[in-house]
Amino acid sequence: MSASDLSDRYPPLRDYALIGDGRTAALISRAGSIDWWCLPDLDSPSVFGALLDAERGGRFTLGPEDRAEVRRRYVPDTNVLETTFTTATGRVRVTDAMTLPGGRLEPLRELARRVEGLDGRVPMRWRVEPRFGYGLARMRIEPRVPFPVATGAGTAVAVCAWDAGYVECDATGMAGRFEARPGTRATLAVSAAYGEPLVFPGRDDVEQRIDATAAFWRSWSARLRYTGPWREAVVRSALALKLLVFAPSGAIAAAATTSLPERIGGERNWDYRFSWIRDSSFTLESLLQLGCESEAKAFFWWFMHATQRTLPRLNVFYRLDGATHAPEVTLPLDGYRGSRPVRIGNGAAEQVQLDTYGELVDAVYQFVQKGHRLRLDTGGDIARIADFVCAQWRRPDAGIWEVRAEPRHHTQSKAMCWVALDRAVKLARAGQVPSGHLDRWTGEAAAIRHFLDAHCWSDRQRSYVGYAGTEHLDASLLLLAIMRYDEPESPRLRATVQAVRRELAVGPLLRRYTGDDGLVGGEGAFTCCSFWLVEALGITNQRADAEHLMAELLALGNDVGLYAEEVEPSTGAFLGNFPQGLVHLALISAAIAMHGDGT
Amino acid sequence: MSVWGALAGGFLGTLVLTTALSAGSQLRITRMDIPFLLGTAFTENRTRARVVGYALHFVAGILFALVYYAAFVVLGRAGWALGLLFGVAHALFSGTTLVNVLLPAVHPRMGTPSSAADSAPLLESPGFMLLNYGRPTPVLTLLAHMAYGAIVGAFVAGAAH
Repeated sequence: MSASDLSDRYPPLRDYALIGDGRTAALISRAGSIDWWCLPDLDSPSVFGALLDAERGGRFTLGPEDRAEVRRRYVPDTNVLETTFTTATGRVRVTDAMTLPGGRLEPLRELARRVEGLDGRVPMRWRVEPRFGYGLARMRIEPRVPFPVATGAGTAVAVCAWDAGYVECDATGMAGRFEARPGTRATLAVSAAYGEPLVFPGRDDVEQRIDATAAFWRSWSARLRYTGPWREAVVRSALALKLLVFAPSGAIAAAATTSLPERIGGERNWDYRFSWIRDSSFTLESLLQLGCESEAKAFFWWFMHATQRTLPRLNVFYRLDGATHAPEVTLPLDGYRGSRPVRIGNGAAEQVQLDTYGELVDAVYQFVQKGHRLRLDTGGDIARIADFVCAQWRRPDAGIWEVRAEPRHHTQSKAMCWVALDRAVKLARAGQVPSGHLDRWTGEAAAIRHFLDAHCWSDRQRSYVGYAGTEHLDASLLLLAIMRYDEPESPRLRATVQAVRRELAVGPLLRRYTGDDGLVGGEGAFTCCSFWLVEALGITNQRADAEHLMAELLALGNDVGLYAEEVEPSTGAFLGNFPQGLVHLALISAAIAMHGDGT
Repeated sequence: MSVWGALAGGFLGTLVLTTALSAGSQLRITRMDIPFLLGTAFTENRTRARVVGYALHFVAGILFALVYYAAFVVLGRAGWALGLLFGVAHALFSGTTLVNVLLPAVHPRMGTPSSAADSAPLLESPGFMLLNYGRPTPVLTLLAHMAYGAIVGAFVAGAAH
């Protein structure tokens, strides 16, 4: 298949916007096609998966029959998407929402689309092609009363349409055509059930839920405390993060998708629908600073609970329900623009990544800094983790980037081990953690610093390096400044920030590292690293540079303010899973570090 | 034969039946959810519906056990094999009449072929032999009711010794 064929069948990742309800989420293209939706939860199999296989994946298309110019935005301060199509004959507005439950008998999950004619006459068409189990399960479509129903893999969806034309059903989907005129309104809803009978909603209820959903998001956004110059981007990032919060547990998924490639046609395709402990520190700091107290508490107790099964050892990530089992499986799908393999599960779960300990203990430290107290058993858990770090920090590990090459003595991993011990000492001195091993923790922390200065600093690069014994640099070194490994005035920290920028920057973007990582092919620039650079520049008193860079980075988001994991520096195309929580966390963190939370 | 055996058997049998159907739902075999179906007749709140539904299902399970007991008394014998046969009849009655016809007729939120969805949310009706909830549903329902009948039969017979 030619590159242009692939481009036609797979819209650029930039074209997507996200809607969700705190349990699952859907990606909608600028053309109005819902190409990704997992049921019943974010980490469940997809029912619309055209993103990963345009042929077999399934989708819900809705748009004008004729060519149209598209303008799109989120309804201000909400996760309700508004797409306006302008054709030669008229203008029509589509409002998309994943509705929130209101305590009545509602569908288990509901995707609602409202179509309003604005000007002229616009012939519209829609088609729903559900494909259960990533398009691999058997499906039946039945023209039932009152709405057609598709079933498969223990899941069912009813396609409810009002004033949206005669509904035609065939073996592959349900479709309709209608004309939008000024004052007309059509409503479409996909009601989904898993393990229970379907609920067929009434039209008024769907309409009311769309409005109530928008109202909820507005009220949620109004609580956000940041009032600095980048409020719009910060609020959008917070809203995107909120869609990645799995409400039943409080966990936060790293991204809403799996296997979107880090290089088109490449093999770096991973499942990010899990909660990484690494993100915990950023997450908690951002949530607390933004005033999202309930989300912060839920996340804190989720990760303290999820890690119970493995403590003092930490898994790299946990499933959204707290489970640890996430075997990596390859699906027989084409992949986004032919990027195979398509993976579900993630083999990195069992890797040794020592930095995780620092990030978790720092998250606990921040939680306490905001006036919370630890339970006795939680304090004991932190002490066990600190002891474990003392015993383990001399081991090589896979590092923050989960490289699949031989384990190494990664500088950032060692520095985060120091962070774990430093914060444990502070918590112990504050009476939150048992202090019996305080001397050991202090001694080992000093030993880590000695190791880093002796083996991970390069006089030639005038910088800390990616791992002991190399001259390669790594963007994760910026975290040494962000996690306060040293004083902001530290010459070594300042020099490292400058060296990372010098060696890894491509315009405003940063590559992750130089050197081999055990995988074939390259990748784009890692978006979160650029925001880390903003924050590191700010912390090391290079504010003018930081402000300038932030402005450049904010221009790199898509039309609705979302970011993917990576950006291809030469084209600006998005790569990798989308939207990525870590990028939005880094954006918020950088904004707050530069201008505070406005309180 | 003892009525206490019927009551105990009815309780345990319902526990097994409910667990089997719930496991079938978790294993993606069926979307049959009896507590949800029963509970939503009384409340629109999903959580409350499930709690109410479980309670109602246990009451119904015990009442059916008393009907089984009456039949055992009339026949003058009881046992797991006879109970299993009763379970087959029970499943057929449920699939063709009780849940398929009677429940939609009395359930205020369940759709029937004559319902329109303009005014109120409607629950998906089970269809003949509950097939709307998935093709394997009749088989699972049959097996679960056979287990229920066998347990009730065994308890009623056991209580006689």
